[in-house]
Amino acid sequence: MSEYILKNARVIDPNRNIDSIGDIGVAGKVIEEPAKLKNPKIVDLKGKVVSPGFIDLHVHLRQPGNTQAETIATGTAAAAAGGFTSIVAMPNTTPAADNAGAIEFLRQNAAAQGVVHVLPCGNMTKEGKGEEMAGIGSLKSAGVVALSDDGKCIQDHALMRHVVEYAKSFGLPILDHCEDNHLAAGGVMHEGKWSVLLGMRGISGAAEELMIARNIILARQIDWQIHMQHVSVKESVKLLRAARAEGIKVTGEATPHHISLTDECIKRYDTNYKMNPPLRSESDRLAVIEGIADGTLTAIATDHAPHTRTAKEVEFDSAPCGIVGLETAVPVSYTILVKAGIITLPHLIRLFTTGPADILRFERYDLAVGSTADITVIDPDACYKVDKNTFRTKSRNTPFHGMDVQCRPVLTMVAGKIVHQEL
Amino acid sequence: MTLRKKQIYSAAEMDRAIGDMAAAIAAAFPISNGGCALVGIHQFGVPLAERLHDGIVKLTGSEPEFGKLDISMYRDDIGNRNPLPLIRETEIDFDINDRTIVLVDDVLSSGRTIRAALDALTDYGRPKAIRLAVLVDRGEPEYPIRADFVGFKVQLPADRKVAVSFDDDNRSGGIDEVDWTK
Amino acid sequence: MQWTKKDLLCLYDLSAEEIEFILDTAAEFKKVSQRRVKKVPALRGKTVVNLFVEPSTRTRVSFELAEQRLSADIVNMQAQSSSLLKGETLLDTVRNIEALQVDLIVMRHSAPGAQAFIARNLKCGVVNAGDGAHSHPTQALLDIFTIREKKGRVAGLNVAVIGDIIHSRVARSNIWGLLKLGAKVTVAGPATLVPREFEEIGVRVCHNLKDAVADADVVNLLRIQRERQTAGFFPSIGEYARFFGINNDTLKYMKPDALIMHPGPINRGVELTGDVADGEQSVILEQVTNGLAIRMAVLYLVAGCVKK
Repeated sequence: MSEYILKNARVIDPNRNIDSIGDIGVAGKVIEEPAKLKNPKIVDLKGKVVSPGFIDLHVHLRQPGNTQAETIATGTAAAAAGGFTSIVAMPNTTPAADNAGAIEFLRQNAAAQGVVHVLPCGNMTKEGKGEEMAGIGSLKSAGVVALSDDGKCIQDHALMRHVVEYAKSFGLPILDHCEDNHLAAGGVMHEGKWSVLLGMRGISGAAEELMIARNIILARQIDWQIHMQHVSVKESVKLLRAARAEGIKVTGEATPHHISLTDECIKRYDTNYKMNPPLRSESDRLAVIEGIADGTLTAIATDHAPHTRTAKEVEFDSAPCGIVGLETAVPVSYTILVKAGIITLPHLIRLFTTGPADILRFERYDLAVGSTADITVIDPDACYKVDKNTFRTKSRNTPFHGMDVQCRPVLTMVAGKIVHQEL
Repeated sequence: MTLRKKQIYSAAEMDRAIGDMAAAIAAAFPISNGGCALVGIHQFGVPLAERLHDGIVKLTGSEPEFGKLDISMYRDDIGNRNPLPLIRETEIDFDINDRTIVLVDDVLSSGRTIRAALDALTDYGRPKAIRLAVLVDRGEPEYPIRADFVGFKVQLPADRKVAVSFDDDNRSGGIDEVDWTK
Repeated sequence: MQWTKKDLLCLYDLSAEEIEFILDTAAEFKKVSQRRVKKVPALRGKTVVNLFVEPSTRTRVSFELAEQRLSADIVNMQAQSSSLLKGETLLDTVRNIEALQVDLIVMRHSAPGAQAFIARNLKCGVVNAGDGAHSHPTQALLDIFTIREKKGRVAGLNVAVIGDIIHSRVARSNIWGLLKLGAKVTVAGPATLVPREFEEIGVRVCHNLKDAVADADVVNLLRIQRERQTAGFFPSIGEYARFFGINNDTLKYMKPDALIMHPGPINRGVELTGDVADGEQSVILEQVTNGLAIRMAVLYLVAGCVKK
């Protein structure tokens, strides 16, 4: 059995209100008191920060169906390199994860090939088509932690209401990709000044806002938890803020790209800036940052969406949406939020740990003795340039290549095993 | 690169040569025989042609037709060299069919400019004859082109250029040997 | 100055100087089409491929004729007959074309940015003949050339562009070119087709025809497509013609020497009446003549920058 002592680090453990220099002991798969270890390996982490393992609520592993872009093995390796110990796998694979068999495949493959915890997410509706409810009870038994039709959004409000009611009875949170298809109107970028100047079809911010309002109403009516994925529009943040003030069980996440990039980036027609929801205007970007700062949005999630070079190397209109994000999330978020002085490092840590843990309804998530040893170690002072050629993910579709960033994930431990190390 | 210029003919010598050329052309193509038309090739063939034109007017009292030609569209090296400069104005608003045309350029070196000018000119019509007047003939053209009216014969190594200058009022500025060294 | 670009993609990328350079070059090429021998050997031995993924008749013919008058060798490819239908990506298609040692590709495509995308991946030159609703640089250049020829200048003129602005690459390219050269631009049309966002770049936005054209030195009318009506942007062609079409009465409250322009093909009775199209202020046919000169100039200049 492996034993470690992580020494001299700044330990930030939000749920236990700890932020001080200290040591963390690991024995086998769990946290243990350092004094009780018999033959531990000492890892000196002076100057580094240790916290509970980071959780990414929004990852596309592409297996089964598009293994040229990513596999469970490469996707989890990328997660580990990015400092994540757990990732929630979106169900829009081919075939879709809308049944127990698909979930079982995911769990088995992840157990054999994955290096971080893969938390399955099941579809709300069959094949994510938004027509018929999926077997939610069976999905729960098979081990899903949440439900989502990500990529798509249920347009029929009556059906969504039934899904939320049913999911509540199984204790499953809903993660919704909020998009009204009519208002989105087949657009390829944010509808605003830049879509008008570039002559491109725009996706109105109202498409997101409308479904967020729908979800707030249902969450209030049914008193169940609905989480809004990749919030990108300033009006959406406003709606969430007001709803949360009323005590409605709604939460929201933001992606690193929505807090760092805007629609003006698209003027070069580089498909590495095409995703859904699209990059929005500068005022939207700033509103999302404000939403993070004031606690309206409680999680950062990547929406890691690998695509092969062939798929992305086409005209902007035809390109698939999405960028990889696991290995840039921490440095980009730190640079934009902490380095710029907008939030503190402990707040950032909450966005990657307790924020997502609460959304997934974990009972506890901390570094207390007896907890699973899922630990993330970052070096907040490391400055470097993002180099996509060093990525563990199979794909290279990132807009951040060459960006100057600060804060490097230097050690990732999953259930007591070191899965990434760059000390 | 430093540019070294050495004057080889003064403005006064240039004026004398231009005067002599005008006289020779006027004598070669008397009005009684139909005279001639002058076509200057951009860039410095044009002010030279204007000077010759004025010279002929002074000597004979009659005005030869005058045209300007830019041969950029007829070059054979598009895409092989540096970016293209702005095309200057081509203006041949008289009928060249059956006329004697005297093409005018400042320096005859490789002869390729004249070859292009011949192609351009013949797209405007079918002259009776084409003659060539140059202020400086370097004597070793790459194509079988000869000048009929010459101001100066100059022999220089291939890495030297000859620069003829006129000011904005077409007054002679002198002829320089130009040496581009690294 | 000298021309240094191997592609012509969008007037947004050009300086005022570069635009004037093209116009001055075109002035000389216009003379070529007016003389006995309408050809020059400038592009002799060069190969140009016209790749019209989005179909066109007028623009393609204009480019073809320009290429012929420059003595280039031409190959025409259209989407219906091309490998794109068989699933080949656009990039593979153009790479295959480049492998045939082609010097220039003149392309029209329905996706904005398609030409910019291939130009970054090719060594041969790319001339944009239209990319979706984004850009149609040669059309704007010929429009601006016509204005300059007729009015002697562009700076300070009031130019009104009327019609389906939001879907129009002609409108966008004209806006960029005219603003760069110092003209004052107004766009006008139904509120559903003329977005206010253009105000952010200094263009006046108007939904009333009289306001838009009363002080205009130039009025450029864009073609109304019937598909917009079926998509719900405005109720009927008749209503468009009534509120935004130019007829003899409109001319009465415009400047008497205002130019009437249209990129063609015109819908008589919709954007303008037959009388106006055939009237003294109309320069529509001259636009076509100037288009040939502009395209010859553009092909000549970009060919000069394509390195072997």
